[in-house]
Amino acid sequence: MNNFKNPINNLAPRIIVCMDIKQGRVVKGVNFKQLKDMGEPIELALLYEQQGVDELVFLDIAATIEKQKTALNLVAQIAQNLSIPFTVGGGLTTLDDVKAFLDAGADKVALNTTAILTPSTINETAKIYGNQCIVVAVDVLKTVEALQVYSHGGQKLTNKKLLPWCQEVADRGVGEILLTCMHKDGVGDGFDCALTQQVSESVPVQVIASGGASHPVHFYEAFNQDIDACLAAGMFHSKKYTVNEVKDYLFIQGIPVRKI
Amino acid sequence: MKNIIIIDTGSGNLTSLESALKKLGYNPIRQTEPNLNLDDSSNNVAINGIVLPGQGRFGLVMQQLKKLGWIEYLEQVKQKNLPILGICVGMQILFESSEEDPGFAGLAWFDGKVQKIKSPKSPMVGWAKLQGGFADQQYLYFVNSYAVKSSECTVATTEYGERFCASVQRENIVGVQFHPEKSAEIGHNIIARALSGEPI
Repeated sequence: MNNFKNPINNLAPRIIVCMDIKQGRVVKGVNFKQLKDMGEPIELALLYEQQGVDELVFLDIAATIEKQKTALNLVAQIAQNLSIPFTVGGGLTTLDDVKAFLDAGADKVALNTTAILTPSTINETAKIYGNQCIVVAVDVLKTVEALQVYSHGGQKLTNKKLLPWCQEVADRGVGEILLTCMHKDGVGDGFDCALTQQVSESVPVQVIASGGASHPVHFYEAFNQDIDACLAAGMFHSKKYTVNEVKDYLFIQGIPVRKI
Repeated sequence: MKNIIIIDTGSGNLTSLESALKKLGYNPIRQTEPNLNLDDSSNNVAINGIVLPGQGRFGLVMQQLKKLGWIEYLEQVKQKNLPILGICVGMQILFESSEEDPGFAGLAWFDGKVQKIKSPKSPMVGWAKLQGGFADQQYLYFVNSYAVKSSECTVATTEYGERFCASVQRENIVGVQFHPEKSAEIGHNIIARALSGEPI
């Protein structure tokens, strides 16, 4: 059964795979401390491209300044090898960092802490490169009492209120919002579709759901509720599922995904 | 090897486009100013086509093209019937004007105006299915808030909130609203067809 709502819409809901980069390798966090090596970024990126992934995100790519030159080289190599769009984020603290990574070949940059500390970076980037180049990563934790917005990769609680903050970044000119629901991270029981939809309905830009995916049905639940895009990592890196398996599943369920 | 000029107006990275052209067996030549004479064999470089890449906004791109001396050059390329491919805003400037920057005139090689799309979300970001042309029913990657609603030279259309032109073609000139360099294999096929004068 398919309730896919928007009839005047040829835009396919997107599946985005995220790769965390440490020292030039793709890693997966186990209990926040142990890092498991998942492979070589370009090799994995090309594998996912062949599997029909719609976009890729590389995070923590430039976590330290001294690593930035290496990171820029990696971004240039990714741009030379991939023929699909990709976003880089993590450790971009100034407008110059943003420029350097976009000039190196990234299609978009994802800002989290920088968006919170110096939100004018959003406006400045949008003015030079256009809105489509900026994704703001909003990390939210749903507790019994409240919705808390975090910075510093989920380490630091901020005083931002979720919906006003999302509206502010939209007003400042982001192209998309990447909403990571920290309460779903690693849980594996699906995206927080209700919260993602609530944010999506309050802003004029697309919202990417992140956190909680472990099975193709989780993408179905999200896309069936008109969520624009879903991001996942572990379920693909662990080789539990390929992107095309998830898309085959969605296609059979009547979700109009892009298949190759 | 065929030489293809990529016009660099300085408003975005051209790595993906260069890589796509290389993968297709072309020799991309990135140029800020037009200094390869189309008639002069002393260049030792025969120009086989030109790409107007899709970065920046309408007014800024037109201003840069004028300032850097590209307008006359492009007219010559057109006269000589060499393949011309405009991508995204590079397609939009082939038309008369744009709501994005009303004070600026486009090249007006095609009739029509660029308008804001009444889309559910803006910018439109993602893979949309085409209707018509070589890539009929296939998904190409779009990133835009503005588009041409209709043209006599439409090859393919798509819909996001409303229907608009995904591609136009007339003789040697092709415009695509999507980013073929970011659209995997089908996108690369479109580039190759545009630059060899085949129907897209």
